Amino acid sequence: MKTETKVLGIILLVTVALLLGFVFFLGKSSNSSNNISSEVLQIDYSKGQRIGSDSAKVRLVEFSDFQCPACRSAEPYIKQVISSYGDNVQFIYRHFPLPQHQFGKKTAYLAEAAGEQGKFWQMHEKIFETQDSWSKMSGSDADSYFLKLAKELEIDESKAKEAMEGDVYKTKIDEDIAEGRKLRINSTPTFFLNGKKLNLQSFADLNTIVGEELKK
Amino acid sequence: MISSKLSNRLIFIFSLLGFAVSAFLLYEYSLSGPMVCPVGKGCDIVRSSPYASFFGIPIPAFGIVFYLTMAALSVIHSHEIPTKIIKRLQLLLALTGVGFGAYLTYLEAFVIKAFCFWCVLSFIISVIILKVILIRRNENRD
Repeated sequence: MKTETKVLGIILLVTVALLLGFVFFLGKSSNSSNNISSEVLQIDYSKGQRIGSDSAKVRLVEFSDFQCPACRSAEPYIKQVISSYGDNVQFIYRHFPLPQHQFGKKTAYLAEAAGEQGKFWQMHEKIFETQDSWSKMSGSDADSYFLKLAKELEIDESKAKEAMEGDVYKTKIDEDIAEGRKLRINSTPTFFLNGKKLNLQSFADLNTIVGEELKK
Repeated sequence: MISSKLSNRLIFIFSLLGFAVSAFLLYEYSLSGPMVCPVGKGCDIVRSSPYASFFGIPIPAFGIVFYLTMAALSVIHSHEIPTKIIKRLQLLLALTGVGFGAYLTYLEAFVIKAFCFWCVLSFIISVIILKVILIRRNENRD
């Protein structure tokens, strides 16, 4: 075999080995970091849409974005937590629409408008369920799609329209984003369990982690 | 002007560069947070577009396979035994890569209307590889 072939071959093998090593290392480090941060952060519990009692032993806060696919896939696991622990847990939903998501803020406004009529959670569910459809739409198509969702839930059309155009809930959402930034969130969904940031390997671990916190 | 050995080394080096860019991009695709994007803000937009994956496979994965194959071909080529067929394979692969890259860059420019620095960089690297292959081909003919 020629020297050139040997040298190039070795360089290629080393590169591939480095990549594999890196992937393995990343996989391993995220495995061991599937845990609760020890630092308890100050979260404003007066804000956000909630399910469950304010006196619940465990408070689970989620910073989420309606256009984020990961947030959508976390949904069934959150429902599982709520149904497993009932009154012992309070779930709070906070908005953290990411700048790269065209409809992140708009859908947050729409959900808040529905919340005004006591239908935040119905709208929240509808928006996530239909995420695949509207996230690919153009601006105007999405607007009419969102109004259709509002109509299905019998939400005042003019109010929904007004909300999506911006100013009504802008401050509320911006405050959520500001608090998220203060808590050093850089991705969605981010969960806080009694103020402690969760680093989840899989959303399926959510139920176990909440259960362990309840036992404390 | 350009020896066969040098051109082969160039193809090898650029393939590894392209491989590094694709691998980094694939890593960034796996995260949900904002991406590292040295020029412009298009990376997040491109990543969240419906064109970020093809048949359910993220585009950077295709880049990784493309550049690794390219690098492997230049390793075989350096052995100078089945050189003609390898040269043809390299040309064919580079044309496919650049063609696909051109299509993706077209999508960025006219459909998504945002450019992702890493994707464009990978496209430029693939064009350089094709260019080197073409130069070598012309010189061998003379």
